[in-house]
Amino acid sequence: MNDALEQFASAAPAQSLACRVRLVNAANEGRAAAGADELVRLVQRVAHERDRQAFAALFGYFGPRLKTFFMRGGLAAGVAEDLAQETMLALWRKASFFDSARAGVSTWVFTIARNLRIDHLRRQRDPALLVQEPAEEPPTLEEAVLTAERELRVRSALSGLSPEQSTIIRLSFYSEKSQSQIAEELGIPLGTVKSRVRLAMNRLRSLLEDDQ
Amino acid sequence: MTIAHHPTDETLLRYATGTLAAGPAIVVSAHLAACSVCRERVRAFEALGGALLDDLPATPPSPTALTAVLARIDALADDAGPARREERPQPIALPVASDGTPLPEALAGCDIGRWRWMGPGIRMSRIRVPHDPDASVMLLKVGPGRKLPEHGHSGLEFTYVVSGSFSDAIGRFGPGDIAEVDADVEHQPVVDTGEECICLVALEGRMRLSGIVERIMQPLLGI
Repeated sequence: MNDALEQFASAAPAQSLACRVRLVNAANEGRAAAGADELVRLVQRVAHERDRQAFAALFGYFGPRLKTFFMRGGLAAGVAEDLAQETMLALWRKASFFDSARAGVSTWVFTIARNLRIDHLRRQRDPALLVQEPAEEPPTLEEAVLTAERELRVRSALSGLSPEQSTIIRLSFYSEKSQSQIAEELGIPLGTVKSRVRLAMNRLRSLLEDDQ
Repeated sequence: MTIAHHPTDETLLRYATGTLAAGPAIVVSAHLAACSVCRERVRAFEALGGALLDDLPATPPSPTALTAVLARIDALADDAGPARREERPQPIALPVASDGTPLPEALAGCDIGRWRWMGPGIRMSRIRVPHDPDASVMLLKVGPGRKLPEHGHSGLEFTYVVSGSFSDAIGRFGPGDIAEVDADVEHQPVVDTGEECICLVALEGRMRLSGIVERIMQPLLGI
């Protein structure tokens, strides 16, 4: 990663050295900054101030994770790279739509990446057919509280799953693989995959509801 | 409306992760528009997606990735400021059936065929999904007290009740309800008396109609 960022620094001749250093530092800091509140502040700086340093920090945090996300979804590294960049560009363009009362930054970025993956798989170039986010009413205070609770709840639910259940949930999340493909990949019978998915979903449901 | 039947968690998870096929996703969208409980569940699964994204290991992007994205940001023609809410596209006109019956908004953008006779008291309208020409989606309009065509299917079948109601071995399904039936289940819903029932149906696999007439009609109807 540091190599990549150093190469980035030398590969941006149009920008002043000082500017490049600032952006690289921002990207480096972003990579480490996993704090949810910090991510919100960064997106708000992008939204209101068109702040490239904040954007670079977000890029440092999400870029490498998004690439993994798309690759886990079965896409080739080159395509995953393109879609990760598309996602970051969409983050820049849509930053003003982000509302922390509705979702955490990672959740919001996840939905952008998900929609871009759907669009990619549809191979549709007609913008009318691309996934549209529904226009929504401004969130209420109650929704904001629910959102904060939801973000915490899913994290504690995830840590409550057994490794086996966690694997199944993760596989369901990233790929369009059918249960029979998952069975092949894990080298276990289809019936076992089905019952594991069912058990994992039940466990997840009880964990999500327990904390309500 | 009182919603009694919901999609399974697995289906809502697949919807939230974008891995549910286009046809079933439309039927689930129709239900979500009517069901706040499932909307919240989808939001929880999306939040789970966010949490999993946080947990993912890093794959180093191309060394020039940030430069490339910043260059594209520079090139954005209208980058006077971020996109504003009022610039959102206007919603597409609400979809209607060929006889003017209002349909769920989830069908916006789809090509809705005219009602065709399928048997006594049964009409079908084929839905073409522009982003997935292979999707098996249809509207069924079935008269009061009539049986829906007996069928099994090779994958999951999703049926959303637009209006009226029907009953099968599982229970009674009214407006807003969704019936999710697994493969191998031969089931025969019967429309309740009093009102015709309009359903939005999507299949993951192809439908197998059981009767000889239906078997002959299947290739003709293209379902």
